[in-house]
Amino acid sequence: MSPVILILAVISVILAITMLFAKNPITSALCLLGVLLMTAGIYGLIGEHLIATIQLVVYAGAIMVLFIFSIMLLNLTTESEDHKKEPLLYVSAIALGGGVLTFIILALNEHFLKHPMDYSFGKFSPEVIAQLGGNSKVLSHALFSQFYVSFEVISLALLIAIVGAVVLAKRKFD
Amino acid sequence: MEYFDFIQLMAKILLVVGVSLGVVPVMVWFERRGAAWMQGRVGPNRVGPFGLLQPLADVVKFIMKEDFVPKNANKFYYYLAPLIALIAPLCALSVIPFGSKAIVNGQEVVLQIAQMDSGVIFILAFAGLEVYPIILAGWASNNKYSVLGALRGSSQIVSYEISMGLALLSMLIVYGTFNPHEMVAWQSENYWGALINPFGALVFLISIFAETNRLPFDLPEGESEIVAGYHLEYGAMKFALFFMAEYVAMIMASALISTLFFGGYSLLPGMGTLVSMISSQFGFGEVGVTNVTAVFQFISLCSKVGFFMFLFVWIRWTLPRFRFDQLMDLGWKILFPLSLINLVVVTVMVYFLNQ
Repeated sequence: MSPVILILAVISVILAITMLFAKNPITSALCLLGVLLMTAGIYGLIGEHLIATIQLVVYAGAIMVLFIFSIMLLNLTTESEDHKKEPLLYVSAIALGGGVLTFIILALNEHFLKHPMDYSFGKFSPEVIAQLGGNSKVLSHALFSQFYVSFEVISLALLIAIVGAVVLAKRKFD
Repeated sequence: MEYFDFIQLMAKILLVVGVSLGVVPVMVWFERRGAAWMQGRVGPNRVGPFGLLQPLADVVKFIMKEDFVPKNANKFYYYLAPLIALIAPLCALSVIPFGSKAIVNGQEVVLQIAQMDSGVIFILAFAGLEVYPIILAGWASNNKYSVLGALRGSSQIVSYEISMGLALLSMLIVYGTFNPHEMVAWQSENYWGALINPFGALVFLISIFAETNRLPFDLPEGESEIVAGYHLEYGAMKFALFFMAEYVAMIMASALISTLFFGGYSLLPGMGTLVSMISSQFGFGEVGVTNVTAVFQFISLCSKVGFFMFLFVWIRWTLPRFRFDQLMDLGWKILFPLSLINLVVVTVMVYFLNQ
């Protein structure tokens, strides 16, 4: 593992913590953007350029722009601290979150103790992929031949979601 | 071996960054002289021959000016925005090949900074990141006009990215690869992409004008209604960074459209005979021929980029600015459906040609 990956990982953890505790919504959104960029960097450094690029295009280039755009449009200033007025609710929310987190950690721990991760490559080892003409080629080929039905169904589902969103928004404005 | 790799990588990065930043002052001079020429004026002609030293004087002025920060600005983001503005297009330039290969010290050097199999999509990713400096600058300077400029800029870039992506997609179907080297090779064997898919080239050209915020789409800056838009509150070197970023983005866009549609670094007609003439004149071996070819390929790409930079200036001083609703109509109601239709047409064409 290259030391640069470690640096990126540390930066992304710091950004993630900042995102959680920042008062300013723009800071939170930008920290999330930073985490996504660092993750893309890590993907790139381990040689998965396609995943890194898609991370940049989809998350950093599209979704986060939408987030920041709407934060700016809604003109959210600092986070209101209403939750401090009701200590019982605040404490129970933290307790519930902590409980769920502990449960997830325990479950994952048990799973990985029983079934240790298999780090060896399957059919598509890096050599085979390089021989077939790179990651993007192999992935596109799989998407448009073997999995084309699921691919088309997913894109239909997204189309339905878009149409639904437009219908809902239009009713509100009319 | 590793030492050589490091040196060649650094040399390539220095070349690309140096050329793209070094062209900026020349372009600023050309923009002003070109504007004057097209409008029948004289333009800057006092500093140096033909006013060529004018950009130098501008730089001195930018450095000497007061580094002013508005009182209610969010300092961190205010300083961050111009940096991202310059970094994003420079990163995107790393995927553009500026020659096939050179042979240095018996080893092959691919003339492209980052060789990755996602190639062109990577450029699109960084083109998408160009929204952030505009949003950040507008929001952080805490000024109504800046926020208006930022909103205009971000919605414009997001809208035109779609038709740009669709035009790119139609070319990806033609070439069948993400790799810019293979695209250039395909074009030098067959025809330029613009001849095969002229409508895609036109849509792409219009979209990069909108993406780089140049006239007739410079609504985010729109001096007459929102003063200077998102960089209204920026002065001195911070403004100069935005200014440089605009030109670097133009270079990036020109290099991208040359690579995708106009043959990239493939030799212009006549250059092939020039290469063989020079090689036979000096008695070069195989290594020499490869290196001379690489030089001419670089010149070829540079002349294409130069033409598109000229086009940017030419159109800026020819067409008036659009109104914002006209801009959005053009993007969503005209370019978007037409590029979708074009995509279908190209797909059908490629299907029948490959039979």
